[in-house]
Amino acid sequence: MKPANQIRPWVSGVGAVVVTALILSGAAPGLAQESESVSVSAPMVKGTLPVDDPNAAIWSTAKPATFPMSPQVHWPNRILETTVKDVSVRALHDGTQVAVLLEYADPTEDPDDAAAIEFMVGDKKAHFAHGQPMAQVEGGPVNIWYWKNKDKKGVDMNAQGFGTLKIQTHQDVKATGAFSNGTWKVVFTRPLATEHPAEDTQLALGGFINIAFAVWDGRKDGSGDLVEKGSQKAVSSWWYFRAEAPPDYSGYYYAAFAAALALGFQFVLIRKLKKGQAA
Amino acid sequence: MGGSLVRPVLLILSMYVFLKFVVPNIPGSAPLPSSLIFLYLMLTTTGIVIFATLSRESKDAFFAPILNFLTGENIGAMQAARYGFLILFPLLVGWQTYGSTATSDAPPAENRTIHPAPPGEYTGLSNPVSKTPENIMQGKGFYAAFCSPCHGGKFDGKGPAARGFNPPPANFSDPTTIAMLQESYLFWRIKKGGVGLPIEGMPWKSAMPRWEVELPDEWIWKIIMGEYDGAHQSPRTWE
Repeated sequence: MKPANQIRPWVSGVGAVVVTALILSGAAPGLAQESESVSVSAPMVKGTLPVDDPNAAIWSTAKPATFPMSPQVHWPNRILETTVKDVSVRALHDGTQVAVLLEYADPTEDPDDAAAIEFMVGDKKAHFAHGQPMAQVEGGPVNIWYWKNKDKKGVDMNAQGFGTLKIQTHQDVKATGAFSNGTWKVVFTRPLATEHPAEDTQLALGGFINIAFAVWDGRKDGSGDLVEKGSQKAVSSWWYFRAEAPPDYSGYYYAAFAAALALGFQFVLIRKLKKGQAA
Repeated sequence: MGGSLVRPVLLILSMYVFLKFVVPNIPGSAPLPSSLIFLYLMLTTTGIVIFATLSRESKDAFFAPILNFLTGENIGAMQAARYGFLILFPLLVGWQTYGSTATSDAPPAENRTIHPAPPGEYTGLSNPVSKTPENIMQGKGFYAAFCSPCHGGKFDGKGPAARGFNPPPANFSDPTTIAMLQESYLFWRIKKGGVGLPIEGMPWKSAMPRWEVELPDEWIWKIIMGEYDGAHQSPRTWE
């Protein structure tokens, strides 16, 4: 135990440091503001990208992001209840190609089970429902990557409003699905950049881009008609996607430089003060 | 030593505690943003320094312990705290620099205006449908058919189709939604839907249908009546 008269100066010294830290941290932007999934982050992998293997072990290195789904009610034909409630999304890239894995619960495998990813294209914002025309904002088109179980392939499409869906003349998207134990896993693959920037979304490393999802459960009703088809599907809102850039250490360099400057400033200041006291 | 610094330090600390924990609990108040707390603490510090430097004696009394602390002159047991401070300060500067220069993992910030201004032709319209129990009842029926899947049977924005939409459907029982809007505003929002919003309303994210394509104006006015009645709110009026 230290005597009380030794502890008191300690307390006031520590108090000064704490106050400084409080003041400084008060100005620090966005301290630990953890939120629910808003973005899919695709880390860069060395080696082979699992372009046609939804069950590859390497997928576990990508952090999953989960997005809630709603029935499509924005535009007729509507649907008020859909099978899929959430979609879990992982993504990877190798610097040339990107692979996106959608995972969702669906009790049965049906030939008409289908899934799609939607991106904005270009600089103009596009409405999440197929780039519906907006009254006061000039919107852009959307790029849709579509997969249907029975077709066993990916389809690259564009739309600018419901009823304008068009299959591209150049097909860059590949897709593969695997169903097991009531879960669909669907992998979409495409080169990060293509030669058609007006139709294909371009995935620049490090940049955030808007992404949305759609899922159709291909089950049929009592009379043999598809329940979820066309605009009657489960949809998500716009979220974000980012293909991660190679690690950037410049923040550490700047921090080390600033700390060294502060240390130098302290050294010069104290030397000057000591000289002043001695005089 | 250090006696003349204890009061300023205590003052700044209590100011921080007051702004951070007491102010938000005052009725009608709200938590202060950290930038404002920082500004108030800087003002407090400036005031303390001005007060302490009013006369030569008070200035010396105020700065002497600080100078002694920095130079390590006659500070006895404080020496350890001094070394702690001299190590912590450059680290804090480095940490601050890292925080402001490191590449962020956060997606771009979105500042959505929740109730943007309607186009001129929609301001000040009055509901042409008479407020009879039959009309309100009919409005509630239309609401149940067209609106409740998202806005909820209880007018709380928690309908079965709501979960995937961001922004979420408006909660009409919340006093900051329809209670602070005029009926003409609701008429515009229902008629034109999400795609009718101006750019600050982020029209590309709203799932609100453009009901003018499917419902006659009279039904929309009745729905508005049904919504206010069902959510136990009244439209905002000109005083």
